[in-house]
Amino acid sequence: MSNVLVWIIWFLAAGGCLATGVAVVSVTNPFYSALALIGNLASLAVLYLLLAAEFLAAAQVLVYAGAVMVMFLFVVAYLGGRADAPWAGGPPLLRAAAVVAAAALLVEVVVVVGLAWGDNLQEPAEVSDSFGSPAEIGELFVTSHLLAFEITSIVLLVAAIGGVVLGTTPEKEEAE
Amino acid sequence: MIAGGWICLLAPLAGALAIVLAGQRISRRTAGWISTLTTFVAFGGALMAFLGLWAADPDDRERVSTAYTWLAAGGFEVGFQILVDPLSSVMMLIVSGVGGLIVWYSMGYMAGDDEERRYFAYMSIFVFSMLMLVEAGNFLLLLVGWGLVGLASYLLIGFWHKRPEAVAAAKKAFVMNAIGDATFALACVLLIWETGTLEFFGVFAEVDSLSTTSVNLIALGLLGGAVAKSAQIPLQTWLPDAMEGPTPVSALIHAATMVTAGVYLLARASPVFEAAPDVQHLAAILGAATLLVAGLIALVQWDIKRVIAYSTMSQIGYMFMAAGIGAYGYAIFHLMTHAFFKALLFMSAGVVIHHLQGEQDIRRMGGLKSVLPKTHIAFLVGTLALVGIPPFAGFWSKDGIITSAFATGGALGWSLYIAGLVGALLTGAYAFRLYYTVFRGEAQSAEAEAVHHEHGEGPRSMLVPVGILTVLSTIGGLVVIPGVWHPFTSWIGETAEPLVEPTVLEDYAMSVLAVALGLIGFYVARRAFHAGRQLVTSPGAWRVLEHKLYFDELYDALFYRPAVAISTALRRNFEEPVIERSLDEIGSGTIRVGDDVARVQSGLLRAYAVAIAAGVCVLVVVFVAVR
Amino acid sequence: MDGPDIGWYLIVAALLFGIGALGVMMRRSPLIVLLSTEIMLNAANLTLIAFARQQGDLDGQIFALAVMAVAAAEVAIGLGLIVAMARRRIVLDVDQASALRG
Repeated sequence: MSNVLVWIIWFLAAGGCLATGVAVVSVTNPFYSALALIGNLASLAVLYLLLAAEFLAAAQVLVYAGAVMVMFLFVVAYLGGRADAPWAGGPPLLRAAAVVAAAALLVEVVVVVGLAWGDNLQEPAEVSDSFGSPAEIGELFVTSHLLAFEITSIVLLVAAIGGVVLGTTPEKEEAE
Repeated sequence: MIAGGWICLLAPLAGALAIVLAGQRISRRTAGWISTLTTFVAFGGALMAFLGLWAADPDDRERVSTAYTWLAAGGFEVGFQILVDPLSSVMMLIVSGVGGLIVWYSMGYMAGDDEERRYFAYMSIFVFSMLMLVEAGNFLLLLVGWGLVGLASYLLIGFWHKRPEAVAAAKKAFVMNAIGDATFALACVLLIWETGTLEFFGVFAEVDSLSTTSVNLIALGLLGGAVAKSAQIPLQTWLPDAMEGPTPVSALIHAATMVTAGVYLLARASPVFEAAPDVQHLAAILGAATLLVAGLIALVQWDIKRVIAYSTMSQIGYMFMAAGIGAYGYAIFHLMTHAFFKALLFMSAGVVIHHLQGEQDIRRMGGLKSVLPKTHIAFLVGTLALVGIPPFAGFWSKDGIITSAFATGGALGWSLYIAGLVGALLTGAYAFRLYYTVFRGEAQSAEAEAVHHEHGEGPRSMLVPVGILTVLSTIGGLVVIPGVWHPFTSWIGETAEPLVEPTVLEDYAMSVLAVALGLIGFYVARRAFHAGRQLVTSPGAWRVLEHKLYFDELYDALFYRPAVAISTALRRNFEEPVIERSLDEIGSGTIRVGDDVARVQSGLLRAYAVAIAAGVCVLVVVFVAVR
Repeated sequence: MDGPDIGWYLIVAALLFGIGALGVMMRRSPLIVLLSTEIMLNAANLTLIAFARQQGDLDGQIFALAVMAVAAAEVAIGLGLIVAMARRRIVLDVDQASALRG
């Protein structure tokens, strides 16, 4: 693709990312926050595509936006107004400190990146067309990163069991 | 004969331990018997030692026996050793003999007291301590005995511990004795420093090679101890107060034995004092001063025991005078005769007090001659011996002292001589004042409540020892008759060579003078009594003497008040604000700091999240910098 | 490579991370806090993938995939907790959970 097009897509995706991110954090209604997050995930998927990570972009949309966020929306719908709580509260010192901490983190990372821009981040490597394709990732998963694969599946299993446990306990209490 | 020495020393200790360990299981009378018998066993041991020495060769009369090495530090060693020589054997006999009689007497006097067993245990402890003092073979053991007799004195003065006056008197005695103990100990330290040993013979060999300053200091330290223990000026104020103890205690400790320990020390350490003549003369001067002052004070006292106490102080002044000019033989001789007649006087006074149910004020006594005839004779004999009328015991010894003062010559000798003569006059005066007031004239108020015994004036245990002492006060002085024989003074002279030997002519001339003065004193007292007036008529003089020359008030202002003021000031300005407060602050301060730190745990989750974020910021910087 | 340098992607990721951190520290509803955590996780993912592209090494993408799986598991548990809390009539306010107060 031509450079200009890439730049335009980049700006749109990055802007959407940031805008939806701010929306998630600042909107009062949790439903709208969840929707904003879905937008965020979609923008990120575009950025992944630009970085030659096709499989991950697809996984992001399918798994994250498709499954995880749907779960979120279910819960928000279930809890609805009860999950609502205002922005403010807590000592002003806390709010000031939070802003300062976040800003400090941001500044630090920018500084580091800026410092490294000259030497390390100069030229991205040349990659083949199959970089980031499902075939390549799948091959890595079952050869050199097999352990990560297996452990990830165990983590998911544990999460599932945990979710079931968390979900069923009150029924038993009511029965007793 | 050294075995006799050990038996003499250890028998009373065994008695004391037996009484203490048996506790309530033995009757009170049994405790008294244990104490009396062990003291007489000690006397037997002393007799054994004495006879053994007597039979031995005159050059071989110093027997040292060491039980074990008590202390060894570097090159310095000192052992638990006793010394049996002429001087110590005589002291052993006096202490255990007179002591035994007095303990026997106490069985009658203290009968019925609730805490008799404690009394007899204390008495045995005292006899043991005094024997340790006189039998010690080195200065350290002497100091141990010294301190222990001070302790026994404290325990016995304060025996009736529910009386506040007795407790106060006991404390006073102990504290003043402690001053003497301190100077004595310092002298010992100096001795170790300079001579490297504390054994008598070791020290005496070295003493001439010491510098004048050190030998003067050592002698001063020893003199300080002697002055405190023997109640001489300036440390004499405890002795009259010590009369708060039971009468046998006054007889034993404050007449016959403990207060004479100072004289013993002066005789025993004579080589040290002879190397420091200034200190030795100081001892004589202090003795003379005490002699006069005590004699004057005795003229205005109303308590029978206090008169006798001041008399003791005065007579010990005579002994100090003698030891101060080098007449050791006469000093110890007077010590012995004084033990006889002073114990006799105290014990007879005890019979009177016991008869009158505890009355001690002589203004309430009188006319006891017909009521207590035997006691009257005993008291009269004691008084005659005290004043120094021949042939009674005091005459021989006191005149020997006065004559030695005369023979010394020089300014010192003459002033001591005059003091001794004036003292004889005073002695006659106060002694006969006491006698007349108590035994002659008409019966006063106390007689009405008196107690009467079936078999005479008191229990047998009280009368027999009094009788024995009466006999001793009569014939006890006959061991030294100038011009005829003097076994006693030569016996003592083997240990402590006298510095002055009066001639026989001097002796008899001075004796006549002294006896004459004593009789003048007697006559003056008799006249005053029959005229119904006191010997001291001017009210100003009476007041001064009644307040014992204001020594107590002086010491109170000089030492006690400043000490109390300093303590109070320190407590208020330092102890409370600084020490107590800071200790409190440690506790409350810690709590305060803890509370402040605990506020970090706010429970606010968001605060924890902020903290985590801040930590991450710091970590980023660290990682970047370390890279 | 066409388009912006890798550095720009990193800056975007940093901004996203900061926004997410701010959300975690400032919001009181546990649902929003969870959403903010998701944003932070995604920012990390973006960084990983950017570097994977820059190094030409696929390990970064593998890591990002694992992060995605873990994030899904964490969301499941978190939501389960929130539902359990709601069922017990506990107010959904992070500030109320003050049992750690000392």
